Amino acid sequence: MDDFERELREAMRRQAAPANLKPRILKRRQERRGRRFPRLWIFQWGPATAALAALVVVVVIVAAGAGGFLMKRDAEERRKGEEAKQQVFTALRIANRALEQMNVQLEQQNRKAE
Amino acid sequence: MAFRWQPDFEQLVDEHQSMVFSLALRMTGDRGLAEEIAQDVFLALDRNLGMMESPLHALAWLRRVTMSRSTDALRRRRVRGVHMMVEMNENHCAQGEEASSPLAVRVERLLATLPEAQRAALVMRYQEDLTPEEIAATLGAPVATVKSHLQRGLKLLRAKASTHLQEYIRGA
Repeated sequence: MDDFERELREAMRRQAAPANLKPRILKRRQERRGRRFPRLWIFQWGPATAALAALVVVVVIVAAGAGGFLMKRDAEERRKGEEAKQQVFTALRIANRALEQMNVQLEQQNRKAE
Repeated sequence: MAFRWQPDFEQLVDEHQSMVFSLALRMTGDRGLAEEIAQDVFLALDRNLGMMESPLHALAWLRRVTMSRSTDALRRRRVRGVHMMVEMNENHCAQGEEASSPLAVRVERLLATLPEAQRAALVMRYQEDLTPEEIAATLGAPVATVKSHLQRGLKLLRAKASTHLQEYIRGA
């Protein structure tokens, strides 16, 4: 490398970029990302409001789930109770029939004894 | 498990903005256009950040894309019918001259008068200190072609310097 090339290298050192280059790059990057992911109404809220909205949604979902579960359990219990009641009625009917038969037999024996 | 490099975009901008801007400025000769190119290059980097494998890979990628974007910008200007040499001489370092040495300003003015391929090779060689092989890889050209551009460009620049830069260049 001769003197000319050394001078050339010295003269062609990198120049400092303008001070506002980086902020402009970051701004355009932000704008591009905004365009790529359109801001839904929920993302336009502040973080506290968005968190509160998310909490409300979670509470509603949990409440709906719990309500559904309780309704299903109540229906099941009501069905079982109905079955038990029918079984008791059946048992009472059988017992009543047996008592009537006994009563008929007792009346017949009383008549014979008279 | 191999360590995977996690590129930090803002850090890459900090580290390489002067390289990208200087390459674009010396290729186009227009500060405003160079700033636009630098912004576009870094936005392209942001889009391709996941592909970067190492700091060296990012550096080589930035050089290649900057040169490519600068060449595209020059081509678009030619298509628009703008006379590059006149415009470059008018715009080159118009705002940055006060920050550069008089020799640097004159060298850049002379550089702007060289053919594009020779200018690209010389900028990569003397600004970025790359070997002809590295320049060939960056520009996607055969090594022999790059060497030829370097020799011709240097010869032409010497000839121009001998008439324009006598007071600065000792070896010309």
